[in-house]
Amino acid sequence: MKPTTILIGALGGDGGGVLCDWIVTAAQAQGLGVQATQIPGVAQRTGATTYYLEVMPGPRPAVLALNPAIGEVDVALATELLEAGRMIFNGFVSPERTTLIASTHRVLAIGERAAMGDGSFDVGRLLRAVKERSRAQILFDMDQAAEEAGSVINAVLLGALAGSGRLPIPDASFEAAIREGGKSVDANLAGFVFGRGHARGELEQAVREHQKRQAAAVGVEDLIERARKTYPAKSLDMVEEGIRRLASYQDRRYATLYLDRLDNVRPDLLRDVARHLAVRMSFEDVIRVAAAKTSRERMARVRAEVRAKPHEPVELTEHFKPGIEEICAMLPPRLARRILAWARRTGRLGKVYFSMHVRTTTVWGFARLRLLAGLRWWRPRTYRYVEEQAEIERWLADVRAATPISVELAREIVESARLIKGYGDTHARGLANYRRIAAEVIAPALMGRMTPRAAADAVASARVAALADPDGESLSRTLAAIASASRPLSQAAE
Amino acid sequence: MLDQPPDQIPVAQRTNPERSFREEVRSLRLGNGEVFRGEGILAVTKAILQAGVGYVGGYQGAPVSHLVDVLVESQDLLDELGVHLETCTNEASAAALLGASINYPIRGCVTWKSIVGTNVAADALSNLASPGVIGGALIVVGEDYGEGASVIQERTHAYALKSSVWLMDPRPNLPTMVRCTELAFELSEATNTPVMMDLRIRACHVTGEFVARDNKAPAISRNNRLAEPAAHNYDRISHPPSTYAHEKIKVEVRQPAAQRFIVEHGLNEFLPGERSDLGIIVQGGITNVTMRGLDRLELDGRIPMLVLNVTHPLVPDQIVDFCKGKRAVLIVEEGAPDYIEQAIHAILRKRDVDTKIYGKDVLPMAGEYTAEVMTEGLLKFFAQSANDIDLTKPRERFEAARAGRAEAQRILGGPLPLRPPGFCVGCPERPVFSAIKLLEREVGKVHISSDIGCHSFATLAPFNLGNSILGFGMSLAAAGAVAPVMQKRTISVMGDGGFWHNGLLSGVASSMFNRGDRVLVIMQNGYTSATGAQFIPNTSGNRRDGETTSDIAATLKAMGVKWLRTIRTYNVATMLNGLREAVNTKEGGLKVIVADGECQLARQRRVRPEIAAQLKRGERVVRTRFGVDDEICTGDHSCIRLSGCPSLVVKPSPDPLRSDPVAHVNNGCVGCGLCGEVADAAVLCPSFYKADIVQNASWWDRLKWRMRSAMIGAMAGA
Repeated sequence: MKPTTILIGALGGDGGGVLCDWIVTAAQAQGLGVQATQIPGVAQRTGATTYYLEVMPGPRPAVLALNPAIGEVDVALATELLEAGRMIFNGFVSPERTTLIASTHRVLAIGERAAMGDGSFDVGRLLRAVKERSRAQILFDMDQAAEEAGSVINAVLLGALAGSGRLPIPDASFEAAIREGGKSVDANLAGFVFGRGHARGELEQAVREHQKRQAAAVGVEDLIERARKTYPAKSLDMVEEGIRRLASYQDRRYATLYLDRLDNVRPDLLRDVARHLAVRMSFEDVIRVAAAKTSRERMARVRAEVRAKPHEPVELTEHFKPGIEEICAMLPPRLARRILAWARRTGRLGKVYFSMHVRTTTVWGFARLRLLAGLRWWRPRTYRYVEEQAEIERWLADVRAATPISVELAREIVESARLIKGYGDTHARGLANYRRIAAEVIAPALMGRMTPRAAADAVASARVAALADPDGESLSRTLAAIASASRPLSQAAE
Repeated sequence: MLDQPPDQIPVAQRTNPERSFREEVRSLRLGNGEVFRGEGILAVTKAILQAGVGYVGGYQGAPVSHLVDVLVESQDLLDELGVHLETCTNEASAAALLGASINYPIRGCVTWKSIVGTNVAADALSNLASPGVIGGALIVVGEDYGEGASVIQERTHAYALKSSVWLMDPRPNLPTMVRCTELAFELSEATNTPVMMDLRIRACHVTGEFVARDNKAPAISRNNRLAEPAAHNYDRISHPPSTYAHEKIKVEVRQPAAQRFIVEHGLNEFLPGERSDLGIIVQGGITNVTMRGLDRLELDGRIPMLVLNVTHPLVPDQIVDFCKGKRAVLIVEEGAPDYIEQAIHAILRKRDVDTKIYGKDVLPMAGEYTAEVMTEGLLKFFAQSANDIDLTKPRERFEAARAGRAEAQRILGGPLPLRPPGFCVGCPERPVFSAIKLLEREVGKVHISSDIGCHSFATLAPFNLGNSILGFGMSLAAAGAVAPVMQKRTISVMGDGGFWHNGLLSGVASSMFNRGDRVLVIMQNGYTSATGAQFIPNTSGNRRDGETTSDIAATLKAMGVKWLRTIRTYNVATMLNGLREAVNTKEGGLKVIVADGECQLARQRRVRPEIAAQLKRGERVVRTRFGVDDEICTGDHSCIRLSGCPSLVVKPSPDPLRSDPVAHVNNGCVGCGLCGEVADAAVLCPSFYKADIVQNASWWDRLKWRMRSAMIGAMAGA
């Protein structure tokens, strides 16, 4: 008599221990020999936890093992997709033997979340490993199912296990185990029924699509028409969004400037330039933030996000902390430059801030932000606007200069615009990184100091390095390596 | 001085009433013939009561915290039986508790996490082992070794050898564990020697069942006190010249007696097998993985085995009898050094038994014996010792499984993101490290001496703060010789658990005594949280009378600490100011910041049911949480790097023009406010908002809300 072996991978707080107890109780009620053990992690509700069970087909167990063995797991349960991947990575899941029951949702690990851009692990690889390295799969978004059932994920997973039919335990015994547990019985039973239904294919799960929100703008139909006539179809989604975005961000004229700038761009670069140019032209200043915080849809969105019931009042407090730079950003260029020079001289720059907590659910708080949002007309006269336009023109000039040398190089320069984002320190850091790359890589590349191919690679690797750590260490190393690699060529040229 | 916002309960009133072991407590009351079902460590707890233990003590630590935790909740049962329970402030005090059994025939049991706890207990342990005991003394040690372990990987075995304490390592099977526990007291009494029992992590958590017996009330107890102390007997004092005699008695009297006891009571198990030319000697604790390994090679039941439920002392006759006439014997002994293997070599050599011994040559010297390691070792052993056994098929299966794993790893294309433990949602310790990171932006990197406790997670992503960990409560002492050679002051971080465990004397007293110019941050959350929120001397709700024993700030003042601030941790800006001042001030000597904030796990356990009850009664409750405006966030994730809160996650950007995912606060948020504080203190970005949701709103709330909404609606933009 061989036991059925079960390995559970969970995150702290997912209730893996309770799931384990339910299975043990249900097996015992069925008169089956069962043994479970766990590596519970620490008391904290984070980190990965594993549980291992062996269930005999009959009553008294022989000696059951305490450790899972590679290739010898019959049922692998995971409350999250990366944890399913981990069981596969460690060799426990096998295409000969293992039924894999896993949730397809992702809870990003800290390294994935802390990345300066998109650091998430390739879900395609995870899904491929899941499909190719297990014998049978029961996969659905159990997090969503738990939410839909008003339950928790471990109950859904138990239901999916019951629905898989891999254990000689009837549903009634699992349900009895939930009742015996005595906590949140109704919610857990609901989750169990949901999970079982999904495992048996009786329930369909609507795929939750992530909504992209289009900017709202009126009176730009003719500009959109102009774009449609001029640009390739595959770039139009970006161009049209750009037009709408900039018209609502500033005005029609600004959107026209956007199209004028695009007119000089090669068709195969157009989509990328259109995307980045629209983002760069709608730079984040206080007017934009105030407009976003006081938009009509925002309150409904926030209420949904914080799960306020329809009759429950919600009070919002916004955190702002403008410094001298943010204030100067709104002033005319000459005045701003003088104040900034003074602040730099006296060491006040980056030290003096004005902390403001604005309550946007009060009339006065909301009105203040609304007034700020109304300063749109003033924007073209501000220091920040002038600076941004100059930066944008330099970037576009670099792209234009690179295009005849190599489209790839031009594309990499376009893409480097993503370094510039955010507010305060983040914006300053991103801009400084971009400027370093422009001076130390793009400029020499445009002067022909590198082969076009090496130049494109250099810009790309510098961009990746700039996003690798906030202290700029990787970028410095990469720039040094690029400089030393391009020296022989430049000397040869001289 | 203490800046105490209304929602923050003073440390002296923090209680943790919702942590409850009702089911477990019921199991401890089972009587003759009833079936106990549960985990290994609870079975051992039941067994000590069945054995008539008179007193129990210990210091918490995985995987054995449960023993004392459950008994704390079983005060009624303990009162009925007259059992004394001492929740010790460290392992040394727990080991010293066993001193009661030197002079009095009372059975005692203490527990702690090993190897670290045994290190702390070592002094008392030596002084206990030397005179020996007349009442059975059992030390249940959690052998925190292998996967899931959180301490240095060393073996408790060394202590058993050097102090002549007997070491049990029972097979992880509930009836065996219970039998060994009960017999441990008898062994202790028969040999006047304390007995240690090793329980590995998986053994503590293994589920199973056994037939219970009635608990036994001890003859001498709280309910049945002695009229007179023991007569003075210098032989029972570990002081010369007694100690010279003790050393001889240990080897001449106690050890032979233990060896006789082990044989007479069949503590070690002999499992027969048809291959009389081969054999395996295995530590009880890893029998299961060994047997499953044999099963995998289709050799189950065919190889004779000697299961050592007692790993010290070994019984030479038993070893010789088992090995004699065999071609080859494999010693399966986890961890380094190979004490058992060396001892068996010596025993066989002395008796001229020429059986070939395998052990650490086919199995690795260091590291956990997992299923895979074991299989590989067994394959090597049989290949070298018995080539008549055809293992082609099992070997092929094993290799195929490994090849499958390699293929899986190829598909996944490299290591998966790690998921290290981190601070809980709303943890009060996280803001301190956010503040330290901000401090480092100003003054550059500082040497950070870390300690044991939740706060050691700061050494992991995203904080990556900390230069060394030298043991529990040792962080201040560990900076002793670093501080004098640093231009910038060192910062030592210590929990209140560590402070009372060891930091007060080893750290604070020593630093004061030596005029150390250092900074100490004490995390005052009110519990030893990493081990499951046990009470400590500065917590109220002490299980006996609800009164706080000792206050940290008052203690420090009494010791002469002059620079002392108590700062609420969630106040990142204030914390940053405090740290800045501590690091920069001209004032010499020790500078202490008591970083005060209640353990959020404990707080939530208390607050949740309270709020649920309030809501049910229809009372007005304001629920606070934070959020991120996804339109304003640009996806740089600085906020995550400065916080690491599990409820601060990322989601796809709603912006069709942006590809970087944006920050998002999920529904796990408990509204601690750190993300807002960090956004503020670090001058990050304006995307954070605080939402106060008014539940069971009053008519005034609603009227105000409606009027405001109407006016705001009229003003709102597109």
